[in-house]
Amino acid sequence: MPGRAPRVLRTEAIVLRHRRLGEADRIVTLLTPAHGKRDAVAKGALRPRSRLAGHLEPLSLVEVVLAHGRTLDVITQAESQALFPAVHASLERLAAALYLLELTDRLTVEHAEPDGVFGLLRTALGRLERGDGLHLVSRTFELALLDAAGFRPEWERCVACARPLEADRAAWSALAGGVLCLPCAAGHPEAGPLDDRVLRVLRAYQRSPYEEAARIRLDPDLAGRLEQVMHALARATAEREIGSARFVASARAAGAGEGEAGGGA
Amino acid sequence: MSTSSGRRGEGVGAGSPIARLVEAFHRLPGIGPKSAQRLAYHVLRAPAEEAHGLADALVEVKERIALCGRCQNLTERDPCSICDDAGRDRSLLCVVEEPLDVVAIERTGGFSGLFHVLHGVISPADGVGPEELKIEALLRRLGEDDSQVAEVIVATNPNLEGEATAMYLARLLRPLGPRVTRLARGLPAGADLEYADDLTLGRALEFRQEV
Repeated sequence: MPGRAPRVLRTEAIVLRHRRLGEADRIVTLLTPAHGKRDAVAKGALRPRSRLAGHLEPLSLVEVVLAHGRTLDVITQAESQALFPAVHASLERLAAALYLLELTDRLTVEHAEPDGVFGLLRTALGRLERGDGLHLVSRTFELALLDAAGFRPEWERCVACARPLEADRAAWSALAGGVLCLPCAAGHPEAGPLDDRVLRVLRAYQRSPYEEAARIRLDPDLAGRLEQVMHALARATAEREIGSARFVASARAAGAGEGEAGGGA
Repeated sequence: MSTSSGRRGEGVGAGSPIARLVEAFHRLPGIGPKSAQRLAYHVLRAPAEEAHGLADALVEVKERIALCGRCQNLTERDPCSICDDAGRDRSLLCVVEEPLDVVAIERTGGFSGLFHVLHGVISPADGVGPEELKIEALLRRLGEDDSQVAEVIVATNPNLEGEATAMYLARLLRPLGPRVTRLARGLPAGADLEYADDLTLGRALEFRQEV
């Protein structure tokens, strides 16, 4: 019948999270390339001999077959395509990946039209897997995701009066979604100062392709300031705490003096 | 409303004992409104001794069960029977997520060391970070002068949160001296190779054993 959705859907997906449903089932949140984010039931996934469970852990790229149910889709088949083993082997990388997954979940809505978010997340996870700098991957992903979700932050012009801004004469507000000129900042009590080095890097990350952004060297202090700004922006946009952002800091603190604790650019 | 239907409704309105019982069951995990009603009416129809037994058990569990000051497991006395058992191997410490995991490992009969219960697992998206778990108590325990722990076995579940918790713990525990190990990962009994995920199958191959 024209217009009716097919009863069975085969698609690639990234598992964002799952939660328990009753005694033995799970609701799995999947991000798909063409059908947005959607919840589906994995029946029996909590049983030790489940054929689905191992393929449906968060941070897996999978191919799934979904059967349309009355309220929720049901996962009838799942096969993992990529499990990102290098990310699983490093606490800092794992924490960064958890942050990307949670942020994606918070800033996307179910059954949205294709918006490129699947591609952004898949690419970012691939970059974490191949060992790119954690700050570089996280910051460029945050900016691209905010853009795709319709919350592109404004780093060039004042968000209130649209006047172009010099990097050393700008304030910023997470609630307003970008930079403010000093006169306009007076009307935003929540606005605060923004380090001009941070603003220059944010502008470069937003304007440049990834390979060019990767050439920017970040010292730990600058990387930390950038992270603070972007985490505040993510929190304000999602209108709630992003719990994994706190874990990124805990993982880094636990690893101080070990491995890739600095995260690098 | 007719008089008869009014009579039928007596005692079940909001604030009535039945409504309060239904509401109390409904607050339990996994219990929907219909199941809560069924349970409440089951209690109502059950013999008085059964209902009193349930009420006593509920009160008793809250009054008598507390956390063991050493292993953080649920216990009636502090230290718990496992921590207090002089026959246990004090060089081995198994870290688990929940008290039920202690029961599961004890059931195997293959472990004679001590336990430490974290009461959860790192799950940042659900607001559970390392600070919410009994990690401080674990660090204190290992840092004690008389600690004999030579190996910490991290027995968190083999899923993403369990792995993150294990890696986080390993980072904190290694500098304190003990060897930090993780439960082996492989194929469950009765599984099909064909349906195993790559990570599980890979680990099963890596940690294969001679027959």
